[in-house]
Amino acid sequence: MNTPTPIAEAIQKLSAARPPEGAKAPSGGSAAHAVASVGATLAPWQQYICHACGYIYDEADGDPDSGLAPGTRFADIPDDWACPLCGVTKADFAPYTPPDLTALQAQAACTPLVAARQTPGVVIVGAGRAGWQLAETLRALDAELPITLVTACAGDVYDKPLLSVAVARQLATQKLVRETGAAAAQRLNVRLLAHTHAIRICADTQQLRTTRGTLRYDRLVLAHGAQPALPPSLPAALCWRVNHLGAYLQLRTALGDTPKDVLIVGAGLVGSELANDLALGGHRITLLDVQTEPLARWTAEQAGAQVLQAWQDLPVRFVGGVAVASVEKLQGRYRVTTECGQRFAADQVIAATGLQTPSRLAQGAGLAWQNGIAVAPDTLRTSDPHIHALGDCITINGQASRYIEPIARQARTIAADICGCAPVPYENKPALVRVKTTSLPLTLH
Amino acid sequence: MNAADLPREVTSLPPLSGDALLAAVRAVAQGPLQQQVEAIDRQGHYPAAVLRQLAALGAMSAHLDAPAGPGSYALAIQAMAEVSRVCGATGFMMWCQAVCGLYLQQSGNPALMGEVLADHAGGVGLGGTALSNPMKSYAQIESLLLKATPVAGGYLVNGTLPWVSNLGPDHYFGAIAAVVEGDAPAGKEVMFLLRCDAPGVELRECPSFSAMEGTGTYAVRVKDLFIGADEIMADPAKPTIARIRAAFVMLQCGMAVGITQGAIDSMWAVEPQLGHVNQFLEDRPATLQAELDALTARVMKMAETPFDPSTEFFIDVLDARAHGAELCLRAAQSALMHQGARGYLMSSEVQRRVRESHFVAIVTPAIKHLRKEMARLSTEELPA
Repeated sequence: MNTPTPIAEAIQKLSAARPPEGAKAPSGGSAAHAVASVGATLAPWQQYICHACGYIYDEADGDPDSGLAPGTRFADIPDDWACPLCGVTKADFAPYTPPDLTALQAQAACTPLVAARQTPGVVIVGAGRAGWQLAETLRALDAELPITLVTACAGDVYDKPLLSVAVARQLATQKLVRETGAAAAQRLNVRLLAHTHAIRICADTQQLRTTRGTLRYDRLVLAHGAQPALPPSLPAALCWRVNHLGAYLQLRTALGDTPKDVLIVGAGLVGSELANDLALGGHRITLLDVQTEPLARWTAEQAGAQVLQAWQDLPVRFVGGVAVASVEKLQGRYRVTTECGQRFAADQVIAATGLQTPSRLAQGAGLAWQNGIAVAPDTLRTSDPHIHALGDCITINGQASRYIEPIARQARTIAADICGCAPVPYENKPALVRVKTTSLPLTLH
Repeated sequence: MNAADLPREVTSLPPLSGDALLAAVRAVAQGPLQQQVEAIDRQGHYPAAVLRQLAALGAMSAHLDAPAGPGSYALAIQAMAEVSRVCGATGFMMWCQAVCGLYLQQSGNPALMGEVLADHAGGVGLGGTALSNPMKSYAQIESLLLKATPVAGGYLVNGTLPWVSNLGPDHYFGAIAAVVEGDAPAGKEVMFLLRCDAPGVELRECPSFSAMEGTGTYAVRVKDLFIGADEIMADPAKPTIARIRAAFVMLQCGMAVGITQGAIDSMWAVEPQLGHVNQFLEDRPATLQAELDALTARVMKMAETPFDPSTEFFIDVLDARAHGAELCLRAAQSALMHQGARGYLMSSEVQRRVRESHFVAIVTPAIKHLRKEMARLSTEELPA
């Protein structure tokens, strides 16, 4: 330990001069006055509080600024003494006992909390199909319910499936937005927080922390979807992912109006649909997959053989059974090298290597997690009774089902639960998948 | 009454092996520091003796690895909280001293890791940090104020830093300069120890601060200062900054936790007299305490992995720091509402704490910087 500072020493001396706790006080002020020198060493110091301002006179400390030396008994203070803080007189002081914190806490716990400034209502995270669908369904059931929608993007309403057929259907990119986020928010009387990132759920206080402040909620609904799962060999700065309108529009701008060499990694549903659509737009497509044929998940239905047949007259080259080892940018173009040593040159690279649910929000709140946000199959509640989830971010019995069809039914289930209507149990059934390879549309099970 | 008289139960920081250190820090905070807090706040008294005493206890080096064992960020944060509970300005200077020690240890430079670091950890040397500007530069908020021109054996540094804290004529601090070749940026930065008594360095008084008058804060004017191998902390600086940024921000949580706790103490202090009216206020002490306890537990968990390099972890740290600042503002404000007129006196710790809470909210990284950085780090990266 260090040598105490002079001030600390002074305090220690002062404290040492105090009588031990619990020593008996003399009875009667005047008697104490008469034997001040003896009493000061025997009776515990008392404290007195000013009724006007809360100043506490401690006999041990006195009031040196007003000429009362430390150790001056309250009874010995002249009647013309004034409170050093507010100026009232000695008569306005009363004996004071420092509070017992435990008792205070117990007492405070019995008093009601003040009302919140406003009912927080429902907060929805995500303004994709799931988020907007839920807002619509809730609004249809309850015209007054406060609804806040938090989204990292602009919140514009669009149909994601159209991103797979926009070129073939010659849809102008500006036509893809069905309704701006601001217009939809106004129509539905929803408070839209656009370009706002949800950072953390404080489940115990029912608050959502965001990059534009903290929102309270009565009910929280997670509809933030999934994000592309990129293997380390596909750096984010070099590969496009088409999982929302914003990225898709940037990709279309990068492709421009003239035919380009486009390399797509992953020949699942999204990769195959994009390959089909961009090829119809005149781009030269190289489609890679670790499997030996496209749409390998539906191999029993010979989906791969059928699309390859359909692509015969399109500029689509499928290379199966290869894994990407690296992507490099060389003089404005990209070089993709496979683990078996094949090299491909491309103007743009697109990764369609599957989706995963971002975990920080759910796991930070301690929500049950099973490859995604685990929800109850019938109510779509998470493990927190105030939080529901729907769409691409959820799993039921560990299974994700990232399709459009279930979303409207999920929204009806959650909205009924939130609004206290008759329950609408969710029915979890296998999705019917329509492959929008416009050269040969397929329906798969 | 004195908030320091309240029983220990008011705080609920989880017990750690450093209980003895925390007890000693508490004794200094509630003893000598408590006696000086008004002078620090009102007269701008720089509490050098208290700082040296706290450093000698190990309060500002608990996070540093030592021969005795690995450092504990949890303990360093708790110690800072104990001090900030009494005096936010001194808590801030503990942070300055603590991160300066972090720079010295992370430098890997033998010239800085031996006697210099030992003296610093023990409080023989006192120092600060001028990384506010570089941190904002890396977050794309402002550009670097110091420029370093390569010369034989090192660099010549020029520029002016508007305010650097925990300084004195014989103090020092960690700084970063943009390396320039002629007038053109060289595309890298250099991090170094800047000694206040080196030729070419001038400390200038700053205008008065709201709550940080006693923090030894100066403008630092640097003219042709030579920086050689013995002063270099990182060259280039970016990898080191990337490595220590979470630890740098995390340590600041000690200030927020302590000031919030002090505000809650002040609310309970008036409960017997004013509880009958205070029950009509928002943000009652028990509610704030529950929120503070949850936040403290979150920070203690993060403190187990201060050098986790992931973006997700850094976002989590930034948000905890933002939550601390927001809670601190609310608690200090509510303490003033709870105490009423007596808390509005210039001599009251309650109004001082309102000003201290404002500092937690605006010091780099300020709440707005934290949010902007979280948004930037959360944004999906796409091809250019």
